[in-house]
Amino acid sequence: MSSSRRDFLKTAGLALGTVTLAPWVLEAEAVANVIIQDNKNKLADLALATARKLGASYADIRINRYRTEAISTRERQVQNVSRNQNFGFGVRVLVNGTWGFAASPDVTEKSVSRATMDAIEIAKANSMFQRKKITLASAEKVTANWKSSFQKDPFDVSIDDKIQFLLKLNETALGVKGVSFINSSMAWVNEQKFLATSDGSRIEQYIIRGYPNFSVTAVDRTNGDFQTRNSIAEGRAIGYEYVEKPDWLVEARQAGEEAVGKLTAKPIEPGKYDLVLHPSHLYLTIHESVGHSTELDRALWWEANYAGTSFLTPDKTGRLQFGSKIVNFFADRTQPAGLATVAYDDEGVAGQKWYLVKDGIFVDWQTTRDLAPRIGKNKSYGCLHADSWGSVPFPRMPNVSLEPTKENVSTDDLIAGVEKGIMINGRGSYSIDQQRYNFQFGGQTFWEIKNGKVVGMLRDVAYQSRTTDFWNACDGLGGESTYLLPGTFNDGKGEPGQSNAVSHGCPSARFRQINVLNTAVQASRRS
Amino acid sequence: MLLTEKEARTITEKMLSFVKANDAAVSVSSEETSHIRFAENSFLTSGKRENRGANVTVWIEGRRGSSSTNNLDESSLRQAVEQAEQIARLAPVDPEYIPTLGAQTYRPTGGFVEATANISPAARAKAVGSILAESEKSKIIAAGFYQSQAAAAAFATKNGNFGFQRNTVVGLSVTGRTSDGTSSGYFARSHFDANKLDTARIAREAIRRTLDGRNAKALEPSVYTVILEPQAVADLLGFFGGGFDARSAEEGRSPYSALGGKTKRGEKIFDERINILSDPWNAELPGSQSAQAGIPAQKVYLVKNGVLDNLVYSRFWAKQKDTEPTPGPVNTIMETSGKPATVEEMISSTKRGLLISRFWYIRSTDPRTASLTGLTRDGVWLIENGKIQYPVKNFRFNQSIIQMLAPGNVEMIGVSERVGDTDNASLLPPLKLKAFNFTSQSEAV
Repeated sequence: MSSSRRDFLKTAGLALGTVTLAPWVLEAEAVANVIIQDNKNKLADLALATARKLGASYADIRINRYRTEAISTRERQVQNVSRNQNFGFGVRVLVNGTWGFAASPDVTEKSVSRATMDAIEIAKANSMFQRKKITLASAEKVTANWKSSFQKDPFDVSIDDKIQFLLKLNETALGVKGVSFINSSMAWVNEQKFLATSDGSRIEQYIIRGYPNFSVTAVDRTNGDFQTRNSIAEGRAIGYEYVEKPDWLVEARQAGEEAVGKLTAKPIEPGKYDLVLHPSHLYLTIHESVGHSTELDRALWWEANYAGTSFLTPDKTGRLQFGSKIVNFFADRTQPAGLATVAYDDEGVAGQKWYLVKDGIFVDWQTTRDLAPRIGKNKSYGCLHADSWGSVPFPRMPNVSLEPTKENVSTDDLIAGVEKGIMINGRGSYSIDQQRYNFQFGGQTFWEIKNGKVVGMLRDVAYQSRTTDFWNACDGLGGESTYLLPGTFNDGKGEPGQSNAVSHGCPSARFRQINVLNTAVQASRRS
Repeated sequence: MLLTEKEARTITEKMLSFVKANDAAVSVSSEETSHIRFAENSFLTSGKRENRGANVTVWIEGRRGSSSTNNLDESSLRQAVEQAEQIARLAPVDPEYIPTLGAQTYRPTGGFVEATANISPAARAKAVGSILAESEKSKIIAAGFYQSQAAAAAFATKNGNFGFQRNTVVGLSVTGRTSDGTSSGYFARSHFDANKLDTARIAREAIRRTLDGRNAKALEPSVYTVILEPQAVADLLGFFGGGFDARSAEEGRSPYSALGGKTKRGEKIFDERINILSDPWNAELPGSQSAQAGIPAQKVYLVKNGVLDNLVYSRFWAKQKDTEPTPGPVNTIMETSGKPATVEEMISSTKRGLLISRFWYIRSTDPRTASLTGLTRDGVWLIENGKIQYPVKNFRFNQSIIQMLAPGNVEMIGVSERVGDTDNASLLPPLKLKAFNFTSQSEAV
């Protein structure tokens, strides 16, 4: 039984008085874990030996358990509380330069043996028609056991505490005059991952991620209008300590006031504006325009049928002026609390940090072991990820972040340099083309800037730009004091579709003369 | 292996036997999925996955808890039930609790074909091999996704209901690109019967569109007359469905809200030829036999002859409003009450307009008017004087869907056909629309 399990019994009992989750649930889980733990290495030996015997040049097996918990509420009631357990394995083989994969929830010797043979059969059948053979960059042999950074395992916190937290948020927002509705929820994910590769690596990882969020709605029934204001804070790879800060109640009240304020805010006059973007907004622009464009699989057209390709191509590496000289983007799978932070990726390559854009120049890519050789590299940056034991691992985004300036620049300092502009907070509507050039972003709240000062609230704002035009228009960055690490909990890519959680650290930043439209007016234009 | 009805019934009965709560709904599912993903005219990833799951929701004196597991052995099922009960004891009373349904009668909807469930790795590899060969012949770089799924699922309630259904689906999507990356074409279809999926046609269409898209010219963004192919209609309507929720409309937060807590139900807000409906027994697009909470699915019109005919009432909201819960939707169908036009007739009747293959990255910008933004992708052509003139570079649009389908803006409606891939098939027609608003150019291919 792990220490966290024992703590669970203690804390759950203390927190809930007489009512706790049944100890047998915990004991049964713990016993199952011990049995599986003993078996994992034997099952891995079986899969890897079978694969090798049947002709695989490389093989790996993931035996993973996923636990999730979700609680959703609206106004003064709980809509649902659910817990999910999901356990299984997936075997991946490389035969004649062709991948094969098979997965099953039956974690037994018989099933592992059969799945390995199925994966081999699939790879061999496809290899008959294969053109470009897959080759792999080498990787170190690793034995490791790692836990993501968290203080309080959310699965050890009582459900009652979580419900009370959400209902208190709701009550706070509903206390604002004019607020009609609030929906709030929290989701927690625990990945317990085991990886064995034919290179000899054996890696265990225990990862916690959480995503508390809410959405406040104000309805004006007289005028037939309604406005929403979603929470600004995003998912993070930390523990329950994330929700134990008083800021949440402050934000719930603020969200209520801003939802009501949006009903009477001034509609934006379309045109060119200077933008000051808060990290709670800018992170998603980074995700879409920088994170996805620097994925090498997209540049090689591996995603052409779904997520799309990239305007970046290998020949632009080290040459393209991606942004202004103050713009530096780094990829980092080691950032504490980053949603894509790991010790090792899903093929045993260590998490690391590297620059994608340095002094405004596009300099490097996100890679995996099968991508790195395609640009002449003999090592992967460790970007392979599968969202389940049953999913084929493939290239996914690491945390991609914008460096703050080394100077002590505040958000107010950035605003002070704007004559006519808009400050945007929070993630709103977002859309970008399949090569990551043309984008349109909305937000949660919009504030008019006049002569260096915020003068009032705006509504119906969205800006459109082109990735390199936008980042070259960046002329001001906030300092370390403005830097936050927001992230997105569900980033879709690939076929079959998979979800990835990823963070994007950034300071506040200023952009000159960006095209802004009024979403309410534009969508109704008839001629 | 997929669960048989007998096995599924045994599992649901076992789960219910563990339940001590006043009320419970349980379900069990099994699925087998296989895929090939290809790109750069080569095989990328390929695999198969089995999975299964059991879900339980219980109510103890109106307090609700849910739990699920993918382990179907007896002790795991027992744990799942007991965990749901523990959660329910901790939860406050659910004021929206409605007792689960007693025994219902379900009329089977079909949608399971053995041939789809049993496609062999060799047959799949060969089909993709042919697509790659055709692409190479046309000097096209192909990427695509070929997936088949078979599923069997059952649900049961403590009050005596039970339902079991199996279904299959196979889909293929292909994207062609010219080697210089200046043109891209896409085509996708799916079917529950593998014998009715014409993989050669899908490849041929993707290749033709890629070749026809070469040497695209940039046009100014503006309001254009457009002809939307069924795939483009599917892309837009995918962001439309949730808007029919009755509760949101009555709470004043939907495009169908009217002043004073009323809704626009009964109003003609769309072109009078437009029907939007759900039909579980449609021969091309069979839906689930059961709608929300196990209510036997029925044919439901959301829009009939342009009138907002129905909004979707949950069991709770229907009780609040003293009406019946909606037995759907379980699929998405749009069809015309009038004489359907062909795409060729739409083109020949157009003085100046754009033919659109597909949209991409669509997001809501204003829920009050169901306004969306997104981009065209994989094929736009300029039509002048009744003929396709040349391919055009992509655009971003900002458009209210309510206005798009409003009386006066819909010029022609075609024959509905099954479009979409394995995850999102629907039955939709091509549309010719008088005005559609493009707001910027996109150089992406």
